[in-house]
Amino acid sequence: MVFDVFFLQQVINGLSIGCVYALMAIGFTLIFGVLNVVNFAHGEVYTIGAFVGLMVITALAPPLLAVVPLVLAVGAASGVGLERIAFRPFRRFTDEASQKSRAMREATLLSSLAVSIVAREIMMHIFGGDMQGIPSGYLLQQPVAIGPIMVASGSLVIFATSAVMLGALQFLLYRTQTGLGIRAVSNNQLGARYVGINTDRTIVTTFAVGSMLGATAGILVGLYDGAISPHMGFAPGVKAFVAMVMGGLSSIPGAVACALLLGVSESIATEFLSSGWKDLITYSLLVITLVFFPQGLFGHGRERA
Amino acid sequence: MRKHAVLGAVLGAMLATIATAQAADREIVIGYQAPLSGDRSQYGEMFRNAAQIKLEAFNASGKLAGAKVAITFEDSKDDPKEARNIAHKFLDNSKVVGVIGDFSSTVSMAAGEIYAAEKMPQLSQTASHPDFTKLSPWQFRNITTQAFEGPYNADWILAAGKKTAAVIYIQNDWGISALDGFVGGFKAKGGTITATEAFNPGNRDFRSILTKVARQKPDVIYLAMFYEEGAAFAQQREQLGIKIPLYGTSSLYSPKLIELGRESVEGLHLATTFTPDNPDPAVQTFVKEYAARFKSEPGMFAAQAYDAVGIMLDAIAKAGPSVTRESLRDALAATTGYPGVTGATSFDPVTREPAKALARMTVKDGRFQVVTGP
Repeated sequence: MVFDVFFLQQVINGLSIGCVYALMAIGFTLIFGVLNVVNFAHGEVYTIGAFVGLMVITALAPPLLAVVPLVLAVGAASGVGLERIAFRPFRRFTDEASQKSRAMREATLLSSLAVSIVAREIMMHIFGGDMQGIPSGYLLQQPVAIGPIMVASGSLVIFATSAVMLGALQFLLYRTQTGLGIRAVSNNQLGARYVGINTDRTIVTTFAVGSMLGATAGILVGLYDGAISPHMGFAPGVKAFVAMVMGGLSSIPGAVACALLLGVSESIATEFLSSGWKDLITYSLLVITLVFFPQGLFGHGRERA
Repeated sequence: MRKHAVLGAVLGAMLATIATAQAADREIVIGYQAPLSGDRSQYGEMFRNAAQIKLEAFNASGKLAGAKVAITFEDSKDDPKEARNIAHKFLDNSKVVGVIGDFSSTVSMAAGEIYAAEKMPQLSQTASHPDFTKLSPWQFRNITTQAFEGPYNADWILAAGKKTAAVIYIQNDWGISALDGFVGGFKAKGGTITATEAFNPGNRDFRSILTKVARQKPDVIYLAMFYEEGAAFAQQREQLGIKIPLYGTSSLYSPKLIELGRESVEGLHLATTFTPDNPDPAVQTFVKEYAARFKSEPGMFAAQAYDAVGIMLDAIAKAGPSVTRESLRDALAATTGYPGVTGATSFDPVTREPAKALARMTVKDGRFQVVTGP
């Protein structure tokens, strides 16, 4: 192995796949942060975003920028629906014992898994299990040469979108009233309720925002990848989950940093090992992090309530 | 008296039946076992459709004077137990001289053990497991395996003057057999393999593999994968500006490859047994007849069955109207250059593995086209 232009290309390849993971990890971590529950249906919101985007593109052939608001709207609607079906029924009891109950949290987790399976099977039924191609005018696959390094235009778009999303979320969380509410609920749901925050509305807002980000990620990755299928959310969902855990569960910048780290590690590992082993790298990094940094790389101690 | 008259009439009638049966042609039966119900029934259905076309054409051609051939279908439900019962049923029927089927390797081998012990020639149109033909000298197949396709493609690439290759394969049983078949054939003829790279099923990002492989600048990249991955691979190769030509296994042969991969799959080469676009008149006759009768375009599976029936009928014609199970086996083993719709088929007299002239294809102007020349 040598530090030549091919090696540099591998780092860039890693950053582009890392950006795909990061794009998904942002919404995932936001939703986890507020409820302390893994939202298994995030991958399906991502897939719904991609399929709605494709349907709009094939039916109306609008300019690409017009597709985005539509996908955002569908993402928000599916986030609100998801919260209503899978999460709200488990918040019927507001006393402290129920809120700290492990069983309740696990039931919520399983109900999001159930919704994700139902949603995926419905999409399989409607669209079939095959890969669906994206019309060529919309693809984000033009090669862009930066010196000797080749990048796809989609990688640049995804990188820029991740940066914008991250910045906008930090602004929302730390500079607005809504963000203050989200942080309060995330910190202590019961306490937030006592000081007069409408926790239900805050949670619904979080789901809407997180799912908007998820759906946008889905259509962007679809345009970058060239094909979408009802199963497309699974693999990046697992990587986004690993990035979130490594980043310390509730730190969004931490999850993004870890997503990029995973992407680059996988890519560089391909230089040394057969690429069939690259998932081994991901999970080894996860295990190492959990053993040596139980709080995650960017986490800080907090009450796991 | 009345009783005797009735008895006499019955006897007379029986004698008359026997006499006419002797005067008419001998009936030779081929047993065909395939899944005709259950979740694999679409394959059995295609086999039966294709077999009927071939059989009618054969009986009408008069190639076999003094005998008529019929096919008896039995439904194996893609179940090994069912297949064994069918095997006993066919063995007990003295008119059955040979069996075609079953669909999957597992079921074909379950029945094959009985045919091997009881000496009945068996020809499967689709069983591709390496051990199937190793059961006994009574097993044949007319489908090629990666052990044949790999060296075939290796010869093709070397004949085009390309001496080094990198192999990208899917990490499963099939992918490994495709890798072994190609690498063995390529090295044996003096080629050099620069890299072999596996990827896990479901992987969509090939940029790292492409970058790694491109460093060694092989003359070609050989893809052992299916169309979803093949299309993504070709697109990412184009994005990375890598110009190394692509060759692939027949598993990439699907209209979906072009639909998903578009311009990026232009120039991809692959060899396949059956293509409905093949201008060969035998293929065109079959495609038109099948489409007219069954309202659908025949695929690879229907073509395999059409040729399996053709090969067996050809062998029966060679063995003559007094064909037995033994003489049919010997005639099958002697099959050379059978002009089928899936390429001219010959059986190796020792291993009974098929060799075929495959159709060489490339993607040109957005569709698969037959390549003539190297």
